[in-house]
Amino acid sequence: MSSDILDDLYRAVLNLNSKDAEHLAKKSIEEGVDPLKSAEALTKGIREIGEGFAKGDLFLPDLVLGSKVLQKALPVIQAEIKRQGKKANIKGRVVIGTVFGDMHSIGKGMVATLLLSSGYEVIDLGVNVKSTVFIKAVKKYNPDILAMSALLTTTAYEQKNVVKDLISKEMRDKIKIIVGGAPINQEFAESIGADGYAPTAPLAVTLVNKLLNLDQEE
Amino acid sequence: MRRGYIRNMEPLKILTDAQVQIIHRGTLDILEETGVRFESERALKMFKKNGCIVNFEDNRVRFPSYLVEECIRKTPSSFLVKARDPKDNLRFGGNTLYFMCSAGARISDPKTGETRIAKMKENNEAVLISDALKNLDYFPSYTPYFEVEGVEPIMLCPTSCAMRLRYSSKVSRGAQAADSYIWETQIAQACGAQLLGNMEAASPLSYSEDAINAGFGYAKAGFPIYIAGGGVMGGTAPVTIAGATISNNAELLAAVVFFQLIKPGVGIIANDIEYPMNMRSGSPAFGSLGISLHEAAFNQIWTQFYKIPTNNCAAGFPNSKSFDLQSGYEKTHCAMTSAYSGANSILLHGGVSAELAYNPLMAIIDDDLAAIVGKHLEGIVVDSESMAIELIKEVGPIPGTYLDKLHTKNYWRRENYVPKCADTLTYPEWITSGKKSAIDYARERMEEILATHKPIPLTSGQNKDIDRMLKEAKKYYKDKGML
Repeated sequence: MSSDILDDLYRAVLNLNSKDAEHLAKKSIEEGVDPLKSAEALTKGIREIGEGFAKGDLFLPDLVLGSKVLQKALPVIQAEIKRQGKKANIKGRVVIGTVFGDMHSIGKGMVATLLLSSGYEVIDLGVNVKSTVFIKAVKKYNPDILAMSALLTTTAYEQKNVVKDLISKEMRDKIKIIVGGAPINQEFAESIGADGYAPTAPLAVTLVNKLLNLDQEE
Repeated sequence: MRRGYIRNMEPLKILTDAQVQIIHRGTLDILEETGVRFESERALKMFKKNGCIVNFEDNRVRFPSYLVEECIRKTPSSFLVKARDPKDNLRFGGNTLYFMCSAGARISDPKTGETRIAKMKENNEAVLISDALKNLDYFPSYTPYFEVEGVEPIMLCPTSCAMRLRYSSKVSRGAQAADSYIWETQIAQACGAQLLGNMEAASPLSYSEDAINAGFGYAKAGFPIYIAGGGVMGGTAPVTIAGATISNNAELLAAVVFFQLIKPGVGIIANDIEYPMNMRSGSPAFGSLGISLHEAAFNQIWTQFYKIPTNNCAAGFPNSKSFDLQSGYEKTHCAMTSAYSGANSILLHGGVSAELAYNPLMAIIDDDLAAIVGKHLEGIVVDSESMAIELIKEVGPIPGTYLDKLHTKNYWRRENYVPKCADTLTYPEWITSGKKSAIDYARERMEEILATHKPIPLTSGQNKDIDRMLKEAKKYYKDKGML
């Protein structure tokens, strides 16, 4: 029975069916399935979608809808993992958001999904995120990586403000900071004191792996 | 006043009349049921006072259909924009087609084709070249480059506006970001010019506070207004062209209501910059089929049904990173579709690599494309002289020739266009003259323009005023902690 549910969870992700995935997540808990295995079934599904995207077989709607399925089902499983006092098998924790003044979500969403599909826990703060909200999230979630996106030349400098605020609160050294978006380049990333920049979403995953010394595992 | 090109034929109708009506009704339904978000208490109060249903919690404005249609009727079908020199005034609307300069974040180096941040000298030279181009009628905001070495990002819009007015007498559009309208308005007025004001939606169905403040500011200055949406089909607008047209029209009609409530009768030009999404990268699919289809529907609805002038942006932003076949066909299919479907203005000159780069050589080549598109639109003269029946009888069969006839001398130029930067040599001539391409000819023309073209100068007082206003803008942004 347990393996059937795990298979159904995995297939609900591949079928991009949020409703089924959420229902199956709850059912798996009721039936006493190990939540770590349920989490693995979900991430296996999103990993395959991520691989399909990388190969060019799948496109952004698949990636985004796949991510939506996980957003529905994974919190249910994570709550159960926590309740049972177990430790989730994740590569690291990433807090991500688009900076204040900027409403663009697509690039940030792609990075979040590909990180999720690569085994990271991702806390997505959304768009138009104020520096104070980034700081609060870093305090609350204690992430390994803070990822910031900006699509406008005028909002790119908001990334610098967040870095400055982290320094002033003596939190800068606890995390690695990565930045991205159309107006960003390596030179800009270095100038604002970020640890890294990636021009595309797949390369953002490579960058995170490298910053956390996990690149040998890929 | 600049003449532009005059469309001398019925515009293309890509939609049936019934489809136009259905799309319009769908748009009214969205405006009445879903509404549009305006992040400004001042705007919300104005809408409420004028009969809209306003929710001050989520900043949503729902528009009664009668008000929308009344405001469409109040919008003039043509309007004047005053340049700092009357010869460069523009009258948008009717059958007139103008061309607008394109833009790019960075310079595509005319020598190497590599993309890098432009220096101020290069920015000003690009403006001067645009001033010299016969078929380039006006500039958009923050152009030609979005980034200029040594200019802080927050100062880019007012600085860019000042340099356009200093190195060209052609009309400019103002920007909306971060209160830039305050300084751009003052700079233009000091030069004796109007700007084309600006308010752009943030799709879907939203206007930011910056945009709304700029809208109020430009309307107060008495400037005509350029409104724009900018959804990405499949991302911030429905993926279908019909759906994206409705969503985009709802955003723009909300702006029409906004401006007609502030200043009844104000001239408005509605821009179309609605791209399909590149489903690999999430970027807009510049230069693609979807955008030119969307523009055809947009122009039909706005210029033919609403009688409100339009601008189209697709031709100015090819996806290609260089001057190649792709850039040529992307620009041409978009520009031709825009022109034939009734656009009153087409953004065209100089864009390379989507919105990421601008190349003055490309602008020079695009000036030829503008002439070809414009002359196409002017159509064919059919009268007794052009039909040449008596002449055909006179010349008769071989060995008759038309080359020695005055009719040929008199009319060949009118009936054709000789590109300034095209290779038109025979193969042997091409070999012996160094195998020059259009780019080589454009480079020669660029050097000639830079050596000889003198824009109409500002007075020393106007130049001083500009410098003072830029200093004041700097102080303003410093005081606000933005610099």
